[in-house]
Amino acid sequence: MNYAMVRRLILKDWYFMRGPILLSLAGGLVSLAIVAFAGKVGFFLGLLLLITTMVAIGATLVMGTLVGERENQTLAFVMSLPVSHLEYTSAKILVNLLIFIPFWVILVAGSLALVVISPVIHGLFAYTVIMSVEILAGICLMIAVALVTESKGWTISAMVVGNLAINIVGYLVAHIPGISNGMFGTVIQWRPAASFTLATEFALIALLLGGAYFIQSRKKDFL
Amino acid sequence: MSELSVQFQGVSKKYPHFSLDEIDLELPAGSIMGLIGANGAGKSTTIRILMGLVHQDAGSVRVLGHPMPADQAAAKLDIGFVSEDMRLYGQATLAWHMEFLRPIYPRWDQPYAEALVRRFDLTPQQKIKGLSHGQRVKAALLLALARRPRLLVLDEPTTGLDPVARKEVLDELMAVLADEERTILFSSHNTLDVEQISDQITFIDRGRIIDSDDKEAFLDRWRRLRLVLPPDGAVPRFPGIVQVDGSGRLPVLTTNNFEPAMVSACNELGATVQAVDTMTLEEIFVANVHSRRERLSA
Repeated sequence: MNYAMVRRLILKDWYFMRGPILLSLAGGLVSLAIVAFAGKVGFFLGLLLLITTMVAIGATLVMGTLVGERENQTLAFVMSLPVSHLEYTSAKILVNLLIFIPFWVILVAGSLALVVISPVIHGLFAYTVIMSVEILAGICLMIAVALVTESKGWTISAMVVGNLAINIVGYLVAHIPGISNGMFGTVIQWRPAASFTLATEFALIALLLGGAYFIQSRKKDFL
Repeated sequence: MSELSVQFQGVSKKYPHFSLDEIDLELPAGSIMGLIGANGAGKSTTIRILMGLVHQDAGSVRVLGHPMPADQAAAKLDIGFVSEDMRLYGQATLAWHMEFLRPIYPRWDQPYAEALVRRFDLTPQQKIKGLSHGQRVKAALLLALARRPRLLVLDEPTTGLDPVARKEVLDELMAVLADEERTILFSSHNTLDVEQISDQITFIDRGRIIDSDDKEAFLDRWRRLRLVLPPDGAVPRFPGIVQVDGSGRLPVLTTNNFEPAMVSACNELGATVQAVDTMTLEEIFVANVHSRRERLSA
């Protein structure tokens, strides 16, 4: 693996995506402020805005760094560089994760901090963690689909599936007894059901990214 | 025997509606090969296989001594590639692209890059999206040439350019190529472009290489013989006659293996040779393709 080349490709994508990323980060922080200070209605509006911001930055990243290379016909330029298919794949997965995860961590940490400092919503702690990882899994689904298909249509479909999954998973998780019990209480709890759900989400993320890597390694046509 | 920069042996690639069949191709170091074919003939697929961007189903490919696609990253370190469907980053400047590539290529020649900026009349601080198509092609050529590649691969670089921009690009390219010896593979469906630059020519049609030779050899051995036959005279038949056009007593024979003895042989058979015409590369290409397709459909 030519790590210097992978690093260069990552820096290249960071350079092109820095504007939307910083804007989205500002949007995310505004959402957190609304959640914290705008009362009950503001809490739910801010939460919605926060989730939307996280999904939006993930989608912007995937569209810009993966689908954009094909759409803007810059893929031939990148692939003419001394880089193998797997180095390209590694760079693309890494750049999306390296940019998204810090942003995600900041917003998730902010959300959890709000839960922790507001005793009335302490019971939402486990649910917030699980749903934050669900958002990450949705972004990983988009990364995997965009990598494998390089298609705007398929990537948008993956985004729709990911967004629907947030609602469906949100509903299902809220009905898992080990999580729903005490969810609206004033005590922070972490039960085995939460650990199991979280482990399932991380396994799904590993499966999505590993699967994309595997399919890429078997691809015969890169242009 | 000179070193081979590119070697294809029995390379095949199958798509649902197109196949590249048994491609054998050799490009000696230091030569400039023009790959000529109609749209959809297989030029770009051949070049993509050469670059490791498409994997062949069968056969072997070696580029600068590296097996492809397995060793493509190492091979591409010594290749400059420009293709018709390749775009630079529109929101970045030419200067950014030069800075991006400089640390990647150990032989990147910054003074040469700057000289090419002046020669191509480009503005490094201008964003790529603000450049004309001709300027974009020149920018891509600059970025390929400043790497000081051992092999330059140009896949239809002049396609889509207006005649003025095309001439500018070709003139500049030829001026640059005159500077030093390089190995170049230049594909185009425009024979005039290829004729100006190449010293070797390869014709490709419907996924097969149909002829490959030195440019001068092509031009020497292909001729049109305009005959006048005596009443009831038959059209003379020689080996190497690939096409018979004209009508009645005024046939036109196209040969891919012209010998002056053909003229006297025609005369001995009672035919009068009115003219022996040289052929342009385009005429040779078209006659070559037609004769092959007729042979296949016969």
